[in-house]
Amino acid sequence: MTPNMTLDPETKTREVSVFDHLELLSEMGRDFTSSRDMAASLLKAVTHITEYVRADGGALFLLDKSGENLICEACVGATEITGLTVPSDQGIVGRSVQNHSAEIVRDVQNDSSFYNKIDQKTGFKTRSIICAPLRVKDERIGALELINKRSDDGLFSDEDLRLLEAMSASAGLAIHNARQAEALVEQEVLARELELAAEIQRSLLPDARDDDFPVHGVNIPARTVSGDFYDYFELEDGRICFNLGDVSGKGMNAALLMAKTASLFRCLGKTIHQPGRLMALINDEICETSSRGMFVTMIGGIFDPRSGIVRIANAGHEPALFFDHDGVCTPFEAEAPPLGITTFLADGDRYPENEFNIGEGSFYIFTDGVTEGYLADGSELEVEGLTKILMDGRDKSAAARLNDVVDVIQSSGKPIRDDTTLLCLEQKSGPLVTESVEIITAANVDQAIEIISLEIPSQPDRLKLVRNFVTQAAGFCDCSDDMTQDVVIAVDEALQNVIRHAYGNRPDGEIQIKLFRTDVNFIVLIQDFADTIDVTKIKPRDLNDVRPGGLGTHFIREVMDEVAFLTPPEGRGNLLKLVKRIA
Amino acid sequence: MKHEVREEVGGFVVAFEGDVDLQTSPDARKVLLECVGRGKSVVVDLSGIGYIDSSGVASLVESFQAARKGGQNLVLASVSDGALRVLKLARLNKVFTICDSVEDGLAAIG
Repeated sequence: MTPNMTLDPETKTREVSVFDHLELLSEMGRDFTSSRDMAASLLKAVTHITEYVRADGGALFLLDKSGENLICEACVGATEITGLTVPSDQGIVGRSVQNHSAEIVRDVQNDSSFYNKIDQKTGFKTRSIICAPLRVKDERIGALELINKRSDDGLFSDEDLRLLEAMSASAGLAIHNARQAEALVEQEVLARELELAAEIQRSLLPDARDDDFPVHGVNIPARTVSGDFYDYFELEDGRICFNLGDVSGKGMNAALLMAKTASLFRCLGKTIHQPGRLMALINDEICETSSRGMFVTMIGGIFDPRSGIVRIANAGHEPALFFDHDGVCTPFEAEAPPLGITTFLADGDRYPENEFNIGEGSFYIFTDGVTEGYLADGSELEVEGLTKILMDGRDKSAAARLNDVVDVIQSSGKPIRDDTTLLCLEQKSGPLVTESVEIITAANVDQAIEIISLEIPSQPDRLKLVRNFVTQAAGFCDCSDDMTQDVVIAVDEALQNVIRHAYGNRPDGEIQIKLFRTDVNFIVLIQDFADTIDVTKIKPRDLNDVRPGGLGTHFIREVMDEVAFLTPPEGRGNLLKLVKRIA
Repeated sequence: MKHEVREEVGGFVVAFEGDVDLQTSPDARKVLLECVGRGKSVVVDLSGIGYIDSSGVASLVESFQAARKGGQNLVLASVSDGALRVLKLARLNKVFTICDSVEDGLAAIG
């Protein structure tokens, strides 16, 4: 501070005080912007101002988030009231905040707004108050209050009030700026966390595979994180599990439920190979722990690249579409509610399943973000539009076709409306994955123990013997009665198929039955030496169609955890593997 | 598998004993279709059944459909747990009328 010696004393005082004032304001501003400690900056400001106006005490009140209370955030001199909360429409400080006006009360005893409880508590004698609101435009922030002028009469002047008003305006702005800076930092932290969440979420999606892999998918989130998901993975026997789902809602809560559902599917899907049963278990989990009425629509399935058989369950999801070789479309509608709604299922412990042979066709699952995606003219893509893009791209690779769909939705010029996710399944031509007996033993049964084996001629009267034999063997392996019953049913039905279909009821065919067990599985291998049958023609029938026959294959698939045709060791006949989990 | 057919006021009661499988289901089918062919309703007593496979279930379904076609009824009685498991696998437990006893079965077709 450099006093100007050429000015007359009165002007000099005013000049100095303005200069001091400016100095104080700039210091306050610097303090708020440089310090991360808001409370310390507030205290510093109150101390400076109280000192500057020469008051006994000063207090700075800020409105809480609800705007209903004023809280003393910093206090100096007189009495310590930091933390004191007063209703925002009471007291002199409340009046100042509500009216956006500076208040001077020369003698508090004559002002009915005076909040005298503090004086009563502390024994301090408040005589005079000046109070000015802290605000930026119309936004109320709080108020600065000074108590008792340090002078003979202890009373504030109008000059003091104007000074306080000016300094409060600056302090208000400084607090406002500091808060905004803080919010900005918080936003950046949130954005960074969201980006991390999105990265983790992307890592839950499977890696894209070569064109000759049967499954391809694409997922474009509408926001940073997505409520949609898809996944596929290979089982040890070469079959492929796949799914596509859509969590109700968007944003972080949907993303978290998505992560949970996708993880459950991947984890349980490795041991439970019946999509309907698998999804029922996931449903149980989600129902048990879901909150806020969130649910998941999902289609889960299993595909056997050797036979081309696809087995799916649809839990409340958009119909999946199957286009056969001639482009004829079959929709697979949901026959059960989404996951997370109810544990009561019409089919008991599983979601209803559908099975079909994919042949040379293509199977598509997608979320409503696809069909409700905007086109350039503002209309929605809908199933018709989607069908057209997929049909037009028939000669392209599956991945290219899915990208065509995404391109159309993304090039509408409008932001994507909803998470957009598609999955395509196709049987790839060329040599199919083949397995031999050696691979089974290596793949499933690292420590497989052969229990017993048996050879029978292809004659129906031997079935009862085999049933007894399997019953005894399952009991030997500690299978429960129910499990034993299931294994017996499966073996009996499989043998019927061999006798009737593979050997055409010829009585002189040879059938070998071998039983193994591991720690967790009871495994049956059934081999015949008839002509190799076309496994693609074996399919369970629609049970809604009540008619005799065709039930055997359905029974086998229903009761066993795994059913697969393998390449027989000498390339002759048929080799069926049936697996029942013991645990 | 053995079988026994007796005629009651409301219709025939056909009781099987043993296993109804690929070996024996053709016989079961024949017996059931014959009874249905005689124009009466049938109660199939499954209390003596040890095992029934898909071919046995197919015989039941075929006879049931033949009975319905002729305006008759075919109900199952005293279904063992094993047989019920197989009927449930085929989702036929809701298609057939399943009665606790032959008497209930006769009441159901009467």
